[in-house]
Amino acid sequence: MENLTKKFGNLAAVDHLNLEVEEGEILGLLGPNGAGKTTCILMLATVIRPTEGTAYVGEYDIRKQPDKVRGLLGIAFQEPKMLWVSTPWDIVNWHAKVCGLSTAERKQRVKEVLDAVEMWEPRRKNVHQLSGGMRKRVEMAKILIQRPKIAIVDEPTSQIDVVGKHKIWNMLLELREEGTTIILATNELYEADELSDRVGILHKGKLLVCDTPKKLKDSIVGGDIIDIQLEKEAPPRIIKELKGLKEIADITQFKPTNLRLYLNKVEEIVPQIMNLFTKREVPIVSIRMSEPSLDDVFAHYTGLTIEEAQKDQE
Amino acid sequence: MNKLLLVVERDVRLFFQYKFLIIMRAIWFVSQIALFGLIASRMISVQAVPDYFRYYVGGLSVMTLYSAAIFIGFDIYEEAEHGVFEYLLSLPVSRRQLVLGRSIGGGLRSFIYVGPLIAISLYVMGSVNPLAFLVSLLALFLFSFGVSGMSITIAVIIKSSDRFDIFMGVLDALVVRLSTAMYPLAVVQAANPLYGGITNFNPLTYAADLFRWGTGIESIITLSNPLLPLVGIIAFFALFTFVGVVLYDRRIEGGGWQ
Repeated sequence: MENLTKKFGNLAAVDHLNLEVEEGEILGLLGPNGAGKTTCILMLATVIRPTEGTAYVGEYDIRKQPDKVRGLLGIAFQEPKMLWVSTPWDIVNWHAKVCGLSTAERKQRVKEVLDAVEMWEPRRKNVHQLSGGMRKRVEMAKILIQRPKIAIVDEPTSQIDVVGKHKIWNMLLELREEGTTIILATNELYEADELSDRVGILHKGKLLVCDTPKKLKDSIVGGDIIDIQLEKEAPPRIIKELKGLKEIADITQFKPTNLRLYLNKVEEIVPQIMNLFTKREVPIVSIRMSEPSLDDVFAHYTGLTIEEAQKDQE
Repeated sequence: MNKLLLVVERDVRLFFQYKFLIIMRAIWFVSQIALFGLIASRMISVQAVPDYFRYYVGGLSVMTLYSAAIFIGFDIYEEAEHGVFEYLLSLPVSRRQLVLGRSIGGGLRSFIYVGPLIAISLYVMGSVNPLAFLVSLLALFLFSFGVSGMSITIAVIIKSSDRFDIFMGVLDALVVRLSTAMYPLAVVQAANPLYGGITNFNPLTYAADLFRWGTGIESIITLSNPLLPLVGIIAFFALFTFVGVVLYDRRIEGGGWQ
């Protein structure tokens, strides 16, 4: 994406977005509702035209070669796009046809895919008879049967129960295994963290940062936290030595026996900390580690939690 | 070409899933013949129309075709409401194929739907000249594509289902009433020469006249030369199927619809 911008009147829904998606990766676009994720996706799918800038899908420019772009893409929309009189079988079967599957392949794959999303049994029911979760699975089935080079999934698990979420996540991972590049737009932090190879944080139409979830978390100075409870009072000498470690950003002593360390790269530094306490003969009663979440990352870059950002957008 | 046919197939399949609508319209059609046609024909006896019942049944078939072909415009709004429009725009189908396919699909499905009703009309009206009937069927075929293209074009321009509904209601009233669907041109002209002038250039007039000509109703005093309405229908079809397609294409490309 090169300066990809979409304005609705004076409002820049997507504001000069520059981002490269690597082949075979799952790129998470994380942001609250109204951050510009869906607008960005609709531009990539050539459904709406950018106000400024462009994007290349494969080698094709979304402005100049929209037909070629659509040949590479498959999209599962946030809200399932289907008429209420249609049936899952009609929807998936026609989608397979229009995406160019041969008759033999289509007959086999329609059953396979509808089975996979547990929609074979109710395949003849009208959409209005299906639950929200079932509709969402039909929407996913379109992507699964198409097996596009690039799949765009917009909030694939919103309004889905926990079991359903895991099923859809597994489907996305399998799709990636088959060689599909996936752009995952989501406002669910855990989903972005679990599935994405890289996460781009969008806020008010702007891309604030994009990196692997681990690097994003490590980018918060003192983002990791270790709570240590000691058998006896922590000697000032140990605290001084701990402060001397470059990975430790800060130390708070709640009680004489309780320390909270704010640090980076917790997994690398823990052995050193343990050795230090052992050497100084200060037994540790308990130790609890916590990593920053993507919510902390989001808050770090925007000054808001994702819920606050959501309210801010509303 | 294959993708175009798939778009056509989708629209045809979709239409026949509205079973309630289809059944109700068929009941409406039959009651128009069995009630209105039969009763009204008893009070209409003029030299221009010796058998109003047969005249009316011919016109009713074309009016039904017109209203069925208009239905594609309502589909577009329903699709917009359910977001299906965005889905269609994201498919690996060119905009031209999509729009042309929808126009043909809208026309074809209304033609298929009206087919059995036309058969009822033929049964009621009696004799048929095979060649003339084929020509008139072709004309009706083109007419339904043209109406379908017109409906799509208007839907895309208006962009509001409520306004479209009202606009099409008014248009329907004008197009049907200023046509020869229910009364001959001579009668319209006698009532008001301006009305007669407009009726003379109405595609519904061409379709109704050709259908009556094809079905051998001699009372169509307006049709001295069947070539003229045929050319009129072809022009109407060309205008709204091709020019309408281009307009639609420009309107929707890149999110113009929104």
